[in-house]
Amino acid sequence: MTLKPARSYLAGFLVLPAVAVVVLAMIVPLGYALVMSLFDFGPGQESSGVFVGLRNYVAFFHDRVALGSLGITLIFTVAALTLELGIGIGMAVLLSGLPARLSKLLRAIYSMPLLVSPIIVGLIWRYLYDPTFGLVYQWLRAFGLEHRFGGLSEPGSALFSIIVADVWQTTPFILLVITSGLATVPHEVYESAKMDGAGFWRTMIRITLPMIGRVILLVTLIRGTDAFRVFDIIYALTGGGPANSTMSLSIYAFKQGFQQYEMGYAMAISLLTMLVLVILFAPLVRKSTYMERS
Amino acid sequence: MNRMTTKTARTGVKGLILVAFALWTVIPILMVVLTSFKKQKDIFTVPVKWLFVPTLDNYGKAFANGDFGAYFLNSAVVAAVSSLLSVGLGALCAYGLTAFGIRSAGLLTNFFMLGKLVPAVTMLLPLFVMIHAAGLLGTYVGPVLAHTAVNLPFVVWLAISFLKDVPPELEQAAQIDGCSKMQAFWRIVMPVILPGLTAAFILSMQYSWNELVFSLQLTNMDTYTLPVGISRFVGSVSVDWGKSSAAATMTMMPIIVIGFFIQKYLAEGTTGGAVKG
Repeated sequence: MTLKPARSYLAGFLVLPAVAVVVLAMIVPLGYALVMSLFDFGPGQESSGVFVGLRNYVAFFHDRVALGSLGITLIFTVAALTLELGIGIGMAVLLSGLPARLSKLLRAIYSMPLLVSPIIVGLIWRYLYDPTFGLVYQWLRAFGLEHRFGGLSEPGSALFSIIVADVWQTTPFILLVITSGLATVPHEVYESAKMDGAGFWRTMIRITLPMIGRVILLVTLIRGTDAFRVFDIIYALTGGGPANSTMSLSIYAFKQGFQQYEMGYAMAISLLTMLVLVILFAPLVRKSTYMERS
Repeated sequence: MNRMTTKTARTGVKGLILVAFALWTVIPILMVVLTSFKKQKDIFTVPVKWLFVPTLDNYGKAFANGDFGAYFLNSAVVAAVSSLLSVGLGALCAYGLTAFGIRSAGLLTNFFMLGKLVPAVTMLLPLFVMIHAAGLLGTYVGPVLAHTAVNLPFVVWLAISFLKDVPPELEQAAQIDGCSKMQAFWRIVMPVILPGLTAAFILSMQYSWNELVFSLQLTNMDTYTLPVGISRFVGSVSVDWGKSSAAATMTMMPIIVIGFFIQKYLAEGTTGGAVKG
C-alpha cells in the first residue's frame, strides 16, 4: 500500500514525539554508557575520566563478587520464576473451576500485593522476618524451629527469604494473566475430553497447558526479564548482604557507581547484565512475536 | 456413597487452599496497616497483638517536619505529569503506527518491546551523568523523563491493541462524511478507546507512584518521592516501625483501592494487551 506524501508526514508527526522521548531517555544513554564504560571516573567527574579501554570489562571476570552476583541473579531468576509459575498456574486453574462471581472476588483479593511498591514490600517483610517480634519467627517458635532459620541475617537463608517475598508480590501477576488465558479455551474442548474419559491431570497436561502455551511463554518472558533485572526488593530487604549473599547484578552495578564511585566499572557491569539478559531472552521474544503473528 | 465422600473431601481441600492463599496475601498487608495504628508499646509484643487501642500518633509523626506531605506532593506531580505524557504521546504514536498502514510499523513495535530488555540500572547510570551535567539533578525532569520513557513502550503497545478493536468501518464512515484523518481520530476513535486509555493512565500512575531506582538517584531533598522517602525512614540505623507503617499505609492504600476498580485491566495492561482481562 502506497501513501500520499501528506499522509505519511502526518503519520511521522504522530509517531515522532514518542520515539524522541524513548531515544532521548533510553537509546542515547545506552550509547553514552557504551562509550563511558571505557573510562575510569566518579559521579559528576566524567570530564576528567581516564581512558582505560576494555579494562573495566576484563575486571568483571576477575572480580569474585561480580561473578558471584551473576550466579546469584541466575539462581534468583530460576527459583523465583519456577515457584511463581507453579503456584500462579495452579491457583489460576483452581479459580477457573469456581462460580464467576466468587472467582472475581478472590482475584481482586489475590492481586493486592501486585499494587504495593517494592520498597513497602521490603518494609513489610523486614517486619515479618524480625528475629524478636516478627510473625515468621513467632510461628517458627511454635514448632521449635526458630534456630534452624537465619532469615535475612544469615548468608545461607537471606536469598531464599527474598525469593519468598518476591513470590508473595508477583505470583498474582501470573495468576491474573493465566486466568485470562484459560478463559480463551473453548468449553467444548473440556467436554469432549471428559467424554473420552480423560482425568484431571491428563486433561491438564494434554489439553489445557498446550492451549495456553502462548500465554505461558508471555508471562515467562515478562516475569523472567523482571526477575533478572531485580533491584528494588533486594535494596529494600538486604541491600546485597549479608556477606554479598544477595548481591544481584543490578544491585552490584548500583553500588559500584553510587557508593564506590566507580562509574565506568558500574556501566560496564550494567551493560554486561543487559547482554546476558538479551542472550537469555531474545529467543523467547522472537518466539512470542512469531506466535503472535501466526 | 464412596464417590460422594471423595468429592466432598476434594471440595474441602480446594476451599482450604483458596482460604490459605487469601490469608497469605492479606496478612502481611494487614500487619502494616494494624502497626500504623499501634502505640509504640503495642508494636513490639510477642505474640503479635491483633486487638489494641488504636492511635493516630504515627500518622502525626509521619507528617511532622513536613516530610510525608512533601513526598506525597512530589510523587503526585511526577506520577501525573509522566503519565499524561506517556498516555498522550503513546496514543498518538499508536494511531500513527496503525491507521496509516505503514510498512515499518511491525519493526517499530518491536523496537518498543526492547524496553523490557533494558535493566533500570543500565539506563540510570548514564542518565544520572547526563542529567547532572545538564544541571537538572534534583528537579522533576529526571524522574519524569525516566518514568515516561519506561511507560511509553507499554502504553503504545496497549493502545495498539485497543485500536485493533475499533471497527474500521466507523473511521471510514467518518471520512466519507468529510472528516480529516485527525478529526476522525478525535471524534470517532478517541471516545471508543478512552476507557482503555484511562486504564493505561492509571497503570502508568501506579508504576510511577511505586518506582524506586530512578527516583533514588535523580531526586534530592526537595524532590524525594514517596518510595525514596520511605526508604529513608527504613534505611536509618533503627527503624521507626510506627512512622514507617503509617507512611507505607498512606502510600499503598490509594493504589490498592483504585486497583479494585481497574481489576479487569490489570492482566491486559501489564502484558501490553496481549491477553484480554
